[in-house]
Amino acid sequence: MDLGAIFNLSTLMNTINTATIVVLAGLGCLMTDQAGMMCIGIDGMMTAGAFAAVIGSWLCSSWIMGLVFALAVGLLLGGFYGLFVIRYKSDEFIIGVALNIFAVAITTFLLRSIPGQSGSFHPATGAVVKLPSFSIAGSNVSIMVPLSWLLVALTWLLVYRTPLGFWLHASGEHPESLRSVGRSPERMKYLGSLACGLFCGLSGAYLSLGYLSTFTENMSASQGYVAVACVIFGRSNPVYVFLAALLFGFIDAAGQRMQGIVDPTLTATFPYIGTILMMVILAVRYTAMKKKRA
Amino acid sequence: MKQVRKQYLVSLGLSVLIAMLLGAALMLLTGHNPIEAYGIMFSGALGSMTDLGDTLYKSTQLAITGLATAVASQSGIFNVGGEGQMYLGALASAWLGALLKGTSPWLAIPACLCIAGLAGALWALIPALLKVKLKINEVITTILMNTIALKFCSYMSNGPLKTTERGINQGTQSISKAFRFASIDLFSGSNLTTAVVLIVFIILLVWYMMNRTTTGFEMKLTGQNESFARFSGLSAARLAVLGMLISGAMCGLLGMFETFGVQRRFRMDFSSEFYFDGMLVAMIMQYKPLGIVLMSFFFGILMTGGQRMQYIGVSSELVEIIQSFIIFLMAAESGLLGKVSRALTGGAAKKQEVKT
Repeated sequence: MDLGAIFNLSTLMNTINTATIVVLAGLGCLMTDQAGMMCIGIDGMMTAGAFAAVIGSWLCSSWIMGLVFALAVGLLLGGFYGLFVIRYKSDEFIIGVALNIFAVAITTFLLRSIPGQSGSFHPATGAVVKLPSFSIAGSNVSIMVPLSWLLVALTWLLVYRTPLGFWLHASGEHPESLRSVGRSPERMKYLGSLACGLFCGLSGAYLSLGYLSTFTENMSASQGYVAVACVIFGRSNPVYVFLAALLFGFIDAAGQRMQGIVDPTLTATFPYIGTILMMVILAVRYTAMKKKRA
Repeated sequence: MKQVRKQYLVSLGLSVLIAMLLGAALMLLTGHNPIEAYGIMFSGALGSMTDLGDTLYKSTQLAITGLATAVASQSGIFNVGGEGQMYLGALASAWLGALLKGTSPWLAIPACLCIAGLAGALWALIPALLKVKLKINEVITTILMNTIALKFCSYMSNGPLKTTERGINQGTQSISKAFRFASIDLFSGSNLTTAVVLIVFIILLVWYMMNRTTTGFEMKLTGQNESFARFSGLSAARLAVLGMLISGAMCGLLGMFETFGVQRRFRMDFSSEFYFDGMLVAMIMQYKPLGIVLMSFFFGILMTGGQRMQYIGVSSELVEIIQSFIIFLMAAESGLLGKVSRALTGGAAKKQEVKT
C-alpha cells in the first residue's frame, strides 16, 4: 500500500470538510454541556437546519436566505429543547432522542409534501444556491470552513475568558451560587440551548449547501452523535473538540482513500469505530490517572 | 397511588388527543383532509382480517422492541442500539439457516434462534461493558454501533453472503421452506406469521421476569433510585449488563423472526427503524410492561393505517411526528398538562396529599 496515496491534498480537504460539520455541531453541543444539560438532540437540529437551508435558498434563490432559514430553525429547536429541559424539567436525554426522531420525521414529511420530491430534494439545477466558496490549490473550500475555525477561537474566548462563559459554566455546576450573585441560572441555560441551536443550524446549512445543493432524508447520518462523542472526548474545550473532530474527519477521509483496497461499505464504518476507540482510550487513561492519584 | 395513576392516564389520553390534533393541523397545512386521512388510517388498520393481521404483526413488533428498551432502562442502562442488534441477529440466523439447509427443522430452527439471540446479545454486551467498566456513555456508543452493524450487514449481504439465485438481486440465500414461519390462514394476505406465537411467549416471559421475579424487583429498584439500590447491596453493574444482554437478545430474535417469516431471506431493507418506534412507545409508557403492550396495539393501528394514508399523499412519517409530539407532551406532563389532568380527576388529589 502506498502511503502517499492516502496522505495527499485531497485527503486533507476531505478531512477538513467532514470535520467542519462535526466541529460546528460540536460547538453547539458544548454550549449545552457547559450549562450542564448536554444536548443529544443536535443530530435532529442539524437535519432540520439542513432542510431549512435548502428550502430558504430555493425559495429566495439566495444562500444568505438559506443561512437565515437554517439559523431560525436552529434557534427555534434550541429554544424548544431549553423550554422542555429547563422550564418543564423533562429528562434531557428523552427530549434529545425524541427531538432527533421528530426532526427526521418532519423533514421527510415536509419533503414528500412538496410535489414530486421524495428521498431527496431535486428541483431544477441551479434553483438552489450553494454557500460561496473559494479555491485553494485547485480545490474548492466553502467559506464555512474558515468561519468554523474562527468560531472555535471565539467560543474558546467566550467560555474561558469572559464572565458570560463563567456564568454559563456556573449555571450547570453551581446554579445556587450563581443565583446568589444575582444571575439567573435559567437564563444562562436558555442562552446555552439557543446558542446550541444556532451552531447546529450552521452545521446543517453547511451539510446541505456547503458542497452539495440538495437535502436527502436523514441527511446527518448520525454525525450529530459523533459530535457529542467529540465533546465528551474533548471535555467541552472548544480546541480539543476541534481536534477530535479533525481526527474523525481524517479517519473518514483516509477510509475513503482506501476504497481501492477495502470495500467502501466497510471503510465507511472506520470513523464510527474510530470514535468509539477514541472514547475508550480517553476513559482508560482517565481511570488510570484516577488510580494513580488515589 | 391510584389517584396518581388515574392522573397519568388522563394526561396520556389528553396528550394522544392533542398530538393527533396537531397531526391534523399539519395535514391541513400541507393541503390534505385530516378527517379523510384519519378515516383511511383506522379502516386501513382494522377494516378486514388481513388489515387486522398486519396491525397485530406491527403491534407485536412494537411490543417486543418496546419491552427490549424497557428491560434495559429499568436496569439503569439505555439501549438505543436495538436496530443494529436486530440486523446482526437477522444476518447471523440467515447465514446459519442457509448453512443448515436440508437438515431437520427441529435442529435448524432452535440453532438459528440461538445464534440470533446470541448475536444481538453480544453486540449489546460491548456498550454495556464499556459503560460499566469505563463509564462511557452508552447512548453514544449504541447509536454509533448501529451504523457500524448496518454497514457491516450491508457489506456481507452484498458481498460474501449474497444470494446466487437467479433473478434476485439483493439479500442472502433464501430460507428453505421447511424452516420458514408460515402465514396464518385466518389472516391470509397479511404479514402475520406463526412467529407471533414465539413473540407473545417472549413478551409474557419478559413481563413475568420484570414483575414476578427478584431480578425484576431489583431492576425496578435500580431503575427508580440508583443510590438506594446501591445502598441496599444490589450490584448496579451486574444488573446493567444483564439488562443489556436480555435487551440485545430480544432484538436479535426479532431480526430472525423477520428473516424466517415475512422476508424469507436477509434483506437490507427489512426494517424501517422498527426499534426506534418501539423505543418511543416504551418512553411514552415510562417503561411499564403492561402499558407498553397496550400502547403498542394503539401505535400498531396508527402505523399500519399510516401506510394507507400514503394513497392520498400523506407521508407515513406523520405517525412518527404524532409519536414524538406525545413524548414531548408527556415529558412536560408536570407543567403542560399536569394542571388540566389534575383538574379533570378532581381536586381530591391535593387534599389526599395533605392528609397522608
